Amino acid sequence: MARYSLTFTSVTMTATADTTNLVDSTYAALLQGGNGTMRLNVGEVYLGGESAASAICIAVFARDSTVGATVTAGGTRNAVTDASNQAPSTTAVTGNAATTKPQRSSTLHLLHPSFNAFGGIARWQARPGEDISIVGNTASLGEASLSLYTGGTGIVSGHILYEVA
Amino acid sequence: MRPQGGELYIDNRNNPGFDDATAVAAGLPVGAGRGVFESATFTCKHCQAVVVYNPRNDQHQRCRGCGNGLLCNGCGAVFAQTRECKSFERQIAEILAKAS
Repeated sequence: MARYSLTFTSVTMTATADTTNLVDSTYAALLQGGNGTMRLNVGEVYLGGESAASAICIAVFARDSTVGATVTAGGTRNAVTDASNQAPSTTAVTGNAATTKPQRSSTLHLLHPSFNAFGGIARWQARPGEDISIVGNTASLGEASLSLYTGGTGIVSGHILYEVA
Repeated sequence: MRPQGGELYIDNRNNPGFDDATAVAAGLPVGAGRGVFESATFTCKHCQAVVVYNPRNDQHQRCRGCGNGLLCNGCGAVFAQTRECKSFERQIAEILAKAS
């Protein structure tokens, strides 16, 4: 079970409505299965605000009803957490830029870690066995993204901890 | 009974935080946008939505089909009518069976 940290650094997140294209580098990250049967278990989501003034972030970790295609890392990094671990031959698809833009589902919101990015933080940790699963690489269970819902904005760094099951 | 679940921690001690309307819309209790908010959470056994556990309103449905697991309000309402277990693990198994 390879465990990974998907990090994003100083991303200027902007509000995006559900079922609307998530514009490159305006959302924290997307996480998609690397093939049709890959299962990912998300165990922690962390956001740390870096805005220089009050900035309410209505953050949403949600499944995507349209999955991204030709995804590139953009402002994200995906690192295995165990230094001695051998990465699996197929890894998850991660990033915050894509040719076919992902779209957040209007119904499958999973987590709302709202906070103020003017120095605020938000962290969710799953109980072991209650991780959020991502299965395959097609909508809607094959991809999830961390983005801002309508009305929010802010500069944010953070991470998503997950494992390839 | 308080579930030994996950944890949501929001720290807005050094900023104005956010208003109660935003908090409630995000499924958080009134006042969660000010100062430090820390709460147990559980993950719905049917849809995997993370729910902030409210000890004053422990009326969440439980599904015997998935080990007496807690359900979110939406899945709980469906379950109350149908009594049908739509475990997320079962959905995953069906997807993987189709894919293989």
